[in-house]
Amino acid sequence: MTGAARSSLVLPVGLAITMLLAILSLRFGLRDIAWPEIWNALFAFDPMNADHITLRELRLSRVTAALIGGAALGLAGALMQAMTRNPLADPGLLGVNGGAAIGVVISIWILGASAQAALIAPALIGAGIAAVLVLVLGGAAHRSGPDPTRLVLAGAALSALFLALTWAVLLMSREALDVFRFWVLGGFTGISMTQVMAVLPVYAVGFPLAFLAARLLSPLILGDDAARALGVRVWLVRLICVGAVVLLCGATVSLAGPIAFVGLLVPHLVRPFTGVSIPKLALGSTILGACLATFADLAGRFLLPGREVEAGVVIAMIGGPALVILVRRRQEVPL
Amino acid sequence: MTTMTLRIGGFSTRLPTRLVLVNAVLVILLVAFAGQSLLAGTYPTSLADLQNALSGRADKITSMILLDHRLPRILTAIGVGLAFGLAGETIQTLLKNPLASPDIIGFSAGAGTGAVLTVVLLGTGTFVFLGAMLGGLTVAALILALSWKRGIAPGQLVLMGIGISLTVSVINDLLMTRFDVTEAAQIAKWLVGSLEARHWQDVSILWLGLACLGPLAFWFQFKLSRLALGDETATVLGVAVDPARMATLLLAIGLVALAVSVAGPLPFVAFVSGPIAHGLTRQPRPTLLCAALVGALVTLLADTASQSLPGGLTLPAGIFTALIGAPVLLWCLIVESRKRRG
Repeated sequence: MTGAARSSLVLPVGLAITMLLAILSLRFGLRDIAWPEIWNALFAFDPMNADHITLRELRLSRVTAALIGGAALGLAGALMQAMTRNPLADPGLLGVNGGAAIGVVISIWILGASAQAALIAPALIGAGIAAVLVLVLGGAAHRSGPDPTRLVLAGAALSALFLALTWAVLLMSREALDVFRFWVLGGFTGISMTQVMAVLPVYAVGFPLAFLAARLLSPLILGDDAARALGVRVWLVRLICVGAVVLLCGATVSLAGPIAFVGLLVPHLVRPFTGVSIPKLALGSTILGACLATFADLAGRFLLPGREVEAGVVIAMIGGPALVILVRRRQEVPL
Repeated sequence: MTTMTLRIGGFSTRLPTRLVLVNAVLVILLVAFAGQSLLAGTYPTSLADLQNALSGRADKITSMILLDHRLPRILTAIGVGLAFGLAGETIQTLLKNPLASPDIIGFSAGAGTGAVLTVVLLGTGTFVFLGAMLGGLTVAALILALSWKRGIAPGQLVLMGIGISLTVSVINDLLMTRFDVTEAAQIAKWLVGSLEARHWQDVSILWLGLACLGPLAFWFQFKLSRLALGDETATVLGVAVDPARMATLLLAIGLVALAVSVAGPLPFVAFVSGPIAHGLTRQPRPTLLCAALVGALVTLLADTASQSLPGGLTLPAGIFTALIGAPVLLWCLIVESRKRRG
């Protein structure tokens, strides 16, 4: 099969698998729901039927969150790696996870929040503040735009700083530790439709911006100078790109907690099929990200008897070995 | 650059004056802060008290506080900082990447898992240090083995290290949810790294280890500075690249293991010592002694800060190492990028 045929086939196939996984996630869980009941719950809802309530109140919102969240992380990862030209770049490097964590911890500690729903706003605020700080320290205000290497280093340092502050609060407050240790695993359990709707506007801005950035980034593969010679405003492209990543990851971390590996791994898995084209890579990573997150969410329901394993844990269990195989197949890369 | 010449018998070397000066200042600062944190505290003591305690003439409480409480803690802080500084500078030079701190080789994450597992399996916190050591060594060995391809490939090692560390730290997070919250708080404290209640036993293990590994590290410095010139150049200069790389890496792992087993994975000390040392000495070549001294100073300052919080609050030293380290790193970044952009 030629490369072009392969890449044109892989998108529909990926989409089909993702949809299949999403439907299976509606069906199976601690309480299995029969096929006809799923249909009825969606189109002939009976408020007294426990199956219908489970599906409408729990499963549907959970699947939606996994699909959107996974897609957002995959897309953000593709953009990060394309923008920094660094295969190691992960959206977490922009400090959003660290910022969200400190926001969550402080809101538990000072405001006494404990419900998952109450953590969304502080996580989003924390992620936003952290991202702005990383951008400023990373040189975004400079006329040539953010410098990728400096951006990554600033992200690493600020993440460490936020982590230290987070730990300081956790060690002072038992309540914070008790909520935080479950939040930090990351997963889609117990997300309600209201919560999904609350962050939906952020995604509604983030996704189009990200696909726009993917189109604009293409000339930058040639290097900053060549892109400038072609008339590209490099700083504007980088800023759009980073803004999109922050929106997508900030919304996801506030909804589902910090989920590692999707952003790092998915672009690597997609690249063999799509080649170097950044828009194709972005689209493929979006689909595969959604697929991976939905699969992890579904698989987590079967791994341990009587207890669910968080999607974040399942993804790490898949991601670690996958990265090992990926690295072993690679040629030595100069760093 | 002005240099000095050092001659000992048949051995002679040229030392940049700035390097000597920086190291001297660091030693003076270290001694001053050590003295300050030995004598000051919630139970203030004077120099005369110390003399009396040393000669056995002080009252029981004073001599207990000075000799059994404060002195071992200070010696532990300095020793741990020296070990982290040496290991950090060695690994960063070896892998030619300032981001490649010992965390990259999975040691901290592995030590965390080892520590948590010993508590889970044995039900007591007594053997935490042993578990941490074993866990750290296991994960480091795993990463070395998996990235092995006819020798150590630095790029592969870093990638593999990031991947495995990430997985292992998720395992740590998962294990943390399996305890009641009191136990979890105890483990959390250990995972951050603390220097509270250190005894002479810890001090003797630490400094004995340092006495063995430290001189080796300095001996390897010569090979390291040649490796830093690139594989081909190093080979031409007569360094057997692969064995040298393996030996240096093992040495660094040994140093980190020693420090972690005594104080937990104090974050950022190993990461930040090298860049600060280079910033101070303006030396392109590896500056092991200076990095070690910076490491000791950062750890000692972090420990002092952890004890001098207002309102009787105590936090483990591991929090302050990052709080001191991260701003310094950011400052280095800004200075460096100003220099580059002109």
